Amino acid sequence: MEERMSHIHLPDGVLPVWLWASGFMIAILTGFILFRFIKKEELTRRLPLLGMMAAAMVLGASVEIVPIAYHVNLTVISGILLGPSLIFLATFVVNVILALFGHGGITVIGLNTLTLSIEGIFGYLFFRLFRKIFKKLTPATFLATLLALCLSTFSMIGVVGLGVSHYEELIHQEKEKGIFEFNLLKEKHDQHGKERGEVNMRRFVAIVLPLGFLGWLLEGVVTTLIARYIHRLRPDLLVLERKLL
Amino acid sequence: MIQLSYLDYLAVEGKSFLHRLSPTLKIIGMLMVLSSIVILRTLSGLFLLYGILLALFFICRLPLRIFFLTLYPLIFSVLFIFISGFEINFILLIFLKGLSGSTGVVLLLATTPYPLIFRTLDRFLPSLFVTALFLTYRSIFILLKVLEETQHALYLRGGLQWNHPWRSLNNISNAFGHLIIKGIDASEKMYESMMLRGFKNKIHYRGE
Repeated sequence: MEERMSHIHLPDGVLPVWLWASGFMIAILTGFILFRFIKKEELTRRLPLLGMMAAAMVLGASVEIVPIAYHVNLTVISGILLGPSLIFLATFVVNVILALFGHGGITVIGLNTLTLSIEGIFGYLFFRLFRKIFKKLTPATFLATLLALCLSTFSMIGVVGLGVSHYEELIHQEKEKGIFEFNLLKEKHDQHGKERGEVNMRRFVAIVLPLGFLGWLLEGVVTTLIARYIHRLRPDLLVLERKLL
Repeated sequence: MIQLSYLDYLAVEGKSFLHRLSPTLKIIGMLMVLSSIVILRTLSGLFLLYGILLALFFICRLPLRIFFLTLYPLIFSVLFIFISGFEINFILLIFLKGLSGSTGVVLLLATTPYPLIFRTLDRFLPSLFVTALFLTYRSIFILLKVLEETQHALYLRGGLQWNHPWRSLNNISNAFGHLIIKGIDASEKMYESMMLRGFKNKIHYRGE
């Protein structure tokens, strides 16, 4: 849970159908619009790079930084290197592969793609903006990562928040049915009055935001160090004038 | 992610009835499992679904090591405990939905080689997307080797130490930077070899 608070691996069947179906539709529409701007030859040339960056993102999620038990995300650095259109497809692919390993549901791939691509696309845009303002790589990368992850986390909270009425419905319909083994526990909850059967988004936000903030800081530091390493060896990859898709 | 190569090995080497079943049928089955997860709202129904998937898992003699992969969604389902105000029925419902989904997909992946899954998906999804999926899957194996080598080098040289967190973080970040640069170099070579073989935005599978 400490990992990637901006990208929650929601299981299938938790969110209402209208929400995840809209997620798919918006993701497909966004992908369609973004790919209208790409030349076919350019896309063919960059497909292997897309595959490699998506693979790096998948592997990043599997390596734990031992002293602090954190998993890196690499979406912002991938966004900077790939550009807005390709990072969108890369996040789509990453979510499909993670879902195939049980890391999140199949039905929420569209929503997860939208929240994760916010990180990549805004990371790219913020990086270009801050690089022009500060003229230095370190503050530009750190701030771009921090802000992109912040946006993505709030969008994830928004997605979970949109399903509140559905969670309430699930809680109440189960309560009405009642299963013998759990009646005892239910009675105990009754004593708390308000607690019983109410969806509490504030508690969720109170847990997610502090953990998320730590994640943003760490990801910001790691992404900055990666960008500095790449800049030392292949400065051409981080040049602003480079035309990206 | 190290499990990835093991899953692939199981899918190719397995001899159970699910291994022999057509990939299209298995994907249809997976879609039916997903529909059940979305539709079912009772604990008894979800227990039954999860029971069936577990039975299939053990009938196919898949190793316990892979079973732990299916428990991963529980980590994220824990967040819903706080949303629901510790409502046990709701929590169980969410846990069972998550477990059924992950058991279904792991079962599919452990009994079907990935080129066969991609070939089936290619019939329904845009070829650009399936090609990107295939290239990513292939790239994972290439980068996994680089990552393992870099990790070994880091351990052997004492690059990861609890008492030096900043130095460890710096080394890990450099390792990822190294991974990305190696990935970019490999992608350039991959593009050249694909072009030499007549690649035109679509990968053709054996038997097509």
